[in-house]
Amino acid sequence: MWKFIVRRLLITLPQIILLSVLVFLMAQMMPGDALTGQVDPNVSPEIKEQIRERLGLNNPWYIQYRDWVAGILQGDLGQSFRFKMDVTELLSQRIANTFWLSLVTLIFTYIIAVPLGITSGRYNDTLLDQGITGYTYLGFATPLFIFALFMVWVFGYQLGWFPTSGSVQPGLTPGTMEYVISKFNHLLLPALSMALIATVSTVQYLRSEIVDTKQKDFIVTARAKGASESRVYNRHILRNSLLPIAAFFGWEITSLISGTIFIEQIFGYPGMGALFLETILLRDYSVVTALVLLFGIASILGALLSDIILSLVDPRIRIK
Amino acid sequence: MKKVSLSKLLLALMLVFLLVLAACSGSDDEQEDTGTDTETEEGTEEGAEEEEEDTDGLYSIDDFNVDKTNEGEAIEGGTLNYGLVSDTVFEGVLNRVFYEGNPDYEVLKFFDENLLAIDNNFNYTQDGAAEWELTENDDGTVTVTFMIRDNVNWHDGEPVTAEDLAFAYEVIGSPEYTGVRYYYIEDVVGMEAYNAGEADAIEGLEIVDDKTLSVTFTNANPSLLASGLWTSPLPKHIFEEIPIEEMAESDAVRVNPIGFGPFKVETITPGESVTYSANEDYWRGAPKLDGITLKVVAPQVVANELETGGVDVVDSFPTDQYPDVEENLTNVEFLGQIDTAYTYIGFKLGSWDEEAGEVVPDPNAKMADVNLRRAMWHAVDNDTVGERFYNGLRWAGTTLIIPAFPDYHDPTIETPSYDQEEANRLLDEAGYVDVDGDNIRENPDGEELVINFASMSGGDVAEPIANYYIQAWEQVGLKVELVDGRLMEFNSFYDRVEADDPDIDIYQGAWGTGTDVDQNGLYGRSAAYNYTRYASEENDELLAKGASPEAMDIDYRVDVYKEWQQLMVDEIPVFPTLYRAELVPVNNRVTDWSIQAEWILNNSFHEVGVTQEDPVLPE
Repeated sequence: MWKFIVRRLLITLPQIILLSVLVFLMAQMMPGDALTGQVDPNVSPEIKEQIRERLGLNNPWYIQYRDWVAGILQGDLGQSFRFKMDVTELLSQRIANTFWLSLVTLIFTYIIAVPLGITSGRYNDTLLDQGITGYTYLGFATPLFIFALFMVWVFGYQLGWFPTSGSVQPGLTPGTMEYVISKFNHLLLPALSMALIATVSTVQYLRSEIVDTKQKDFIVTARAKGASESRVYNRHILRNSLLPIAAFFGWEITSLISGTIFIEQIFGYPGMGALFLETILLRDYSVVTALVLLFGIASILGALLSDIILSLVDPRIRIK
Repeated sequence: MKKVSLSKLLLALMLVFLLVLAACSGSDDEQEDTGTDTETEEGTEEGAEEEEEDTDGLYSIDDFNVDKTNEGEAIEGGTLNYGLVSDTVFEGVLNRVFYEGNPDYEVLKFFDENLLAIDNNFNYTQDGAAEWELTENDDGTVTVTFMIRDNVNWHDGEPVTAEDLAFAYEVIGSPEYTGVRYYYIEDVVGMEAYNAGEADAIEGLEIVDDKTLSVTFTNANPSLLASGLWTSPLPKHIFEEIPIEEMAESDAVRVNPIGFGPFKVETITPGESVTYSANEDYWRGAPKLDGITLKVVAPQVVANELETGGVDVVDSFPTDQYPDVEENLTNVEFLGQIDTAYTYIGFKLGSWDEEAGEVVPDPNAKMADVNLRRAMWHAVDNDTVGERFYNGLRWAGTTLIIPAFPDYHDPTIETPSYDQEEANRLLDEAGYVDVDGDNIRENPDGEELVINFASMSGGDVAEPIANYYIQAWEQVGLKVELVDGRLMEFNSFYDRVEADDPDIDIYQGAWGTGTDVDQNGLYGRSAAYNYTRYASEENDELLAKGASPEAMDIDYRVDVYKEWQQLMVDEIPVFPTLYRAELVPVNNRVTDWSIQAEWILNNSFHEVGVTQEDPVLPE
């Protein structure tokens, strides 16, 4: 067991190193830098050149990469050119927002997925099941950013139930109860929008697991022994079907990352996803590379987590 | 049987849904390209406009007011909700010395201001927080003396002093300064030595008394009086302790910034909102409002925010959304004026000499014949482009000094208008005739002529407009092709235009005009931003005249720039295609709002009031 986890961790390390090289090279290859956007006749090319020189943008990529990695190892992700502050500080401002948004989304995702999946699997091929399956197909087909705009329009503007932008009502003092409630209130709609879309794969996964398990021999045995229907479902089928869902959890994190990029932009919610888009537009590469690296590491760790959970759940995986 | 029909229904439903989505998703592209918020660069067309089939629904800039019509008396107090429309957040560098992005300016304009006021032509007046005096010295230098009014105080109660203003010059001039504002002060006597670290003080600065500072410049330049002076003090009692290279990231800039404007910063939520309270001690008098709440609003939802009263005013409204929303938004009044920007088509006429730092025109360039250029201007119908793609909110441009500078713009100059026959005639005369009978003109030497056109992507209309131009030129027999057969992304576009890529013969770009009519930065011989690489002696002479000491006399300066506008119409290194409108919606409850330059740049926000506690909603 531990051998597997250690081995799995060892593979992760070169993955992260490879990721960092790729991230860095791709940022280098993008046309333009933080200064190209400033086509301002007042700022002469000489001044721009001086600034490039000072920022080290004129060095060859491997030197820039070396400096960058050396910084990261000391916990320094560099300085944001546009925000005029340390990238680490900038990220720490944003990361809390994204963390809470992701957490609430995850909770919603499972709250929606588990009952729908169970119902759908238990009563498969009924009208109810077809309704739920229909919803999952719609969910698969709907792009998140369209759906989010639709949600803002209906629940934010038409019905006015939720705030439509920001992460907190302006002017509240951090730490007060009011502030916390306002924060949560601002989270709800984006989290719900994301969860309604993100949940569909889990619903389908759960459904097919249950349908599958239903026909297994041990269920037939359980029934033959005279176990009640609810006992068969709750004790035998559900337990076995939920395990792969738990393993799926790590992957959920990955899909959350891509989700937050759109959601935060549409809801004007200042988290890491919104920051990612903004800094790409501004060509603020030190922030972009830091973010891609973080997202990448989160995905790799997510996959790692999935594998570990899976190995805990299913000993057959551990063997090789 | 039931099952089959249901799944069929589902399939049909999904197909319909798919179509709807395919139709919707196009409009999302626009947000990718607005990554430029510098004030003077107007790289991409933000407009995402559905092509209007009928000619109804056209708007004209003349139908808009610049001042808000007051609907009732303002109440005591009240809070105004201000929307900052932006794809990107404000970065939070809230100080005039350090900020770079326009969103930051939108935040800081409420609590900080420049010492000198300006008029609608962006010339300085004596109505600001400081009065000024200009003396021309015998040795050719000029001295500007700032006399700060006695009742001008920082938000913490300290007076704004001459020392604070001098301190701003010292910070910007310092070699450790990380921002880009040095160009404002490089002409101050002794600045070069100070900037190089050779002098401890700036020779040209003299603190006469607590409230009086005189600044001496090496030469008289009319731009100085056309908002070309650095007039924003930096509170020395706060920044003194902070090393210059750490100022931009300090709390004094990001967390609790102060100024001497009509409102004080109460709270800042980084990247999303700011609340302000009234500065009762404001030198022009206490504001009518109790406070302002500013929040960032994504361009996609700005119309909804206005409709529900989430915001009363925004900094700028995406004009392409106007036709869709104007009928529903009965609770706001749209103010409009001519935006300080123009779109143009430029002809590559030479190259840039890096060593000499100047433009080298090439008499053999493909586009070197002025008649060819004039014919191309005649061949395009920009008014129709404005009507079809922008509902009349953009319209054909005439000269390079736009009507936003009312004194300088010369509307009497005759510019080539849409006239295909004239275009054909000009081309025939210049020797561009079709020799091989394919309806495409060859050049005067009888060789094939293909003009390569560079245009930027961005917005739904970028492609149809580029195609329109290509077709219009084809109709007069000119073969124009897009470089690489497609539109270019913003950054690659400017990289290649700037590098004089030989594959580019003509290009479509846009400039923001800023606040000074001086054209040396864009069309001068030594200007790197002179992307057409056009230069002529007459042009040099006029631009030099416009920036000469004699041009301190505004009438003279106006005449020079009228002559220059005429020269540009004769020589056509570029021709302006579209002027554009700027629209600002204001909720009906707001009183005394205006979008005139002299109002908005002079921080007249203390006059603003509201007629009721809550925003007016649509009926």
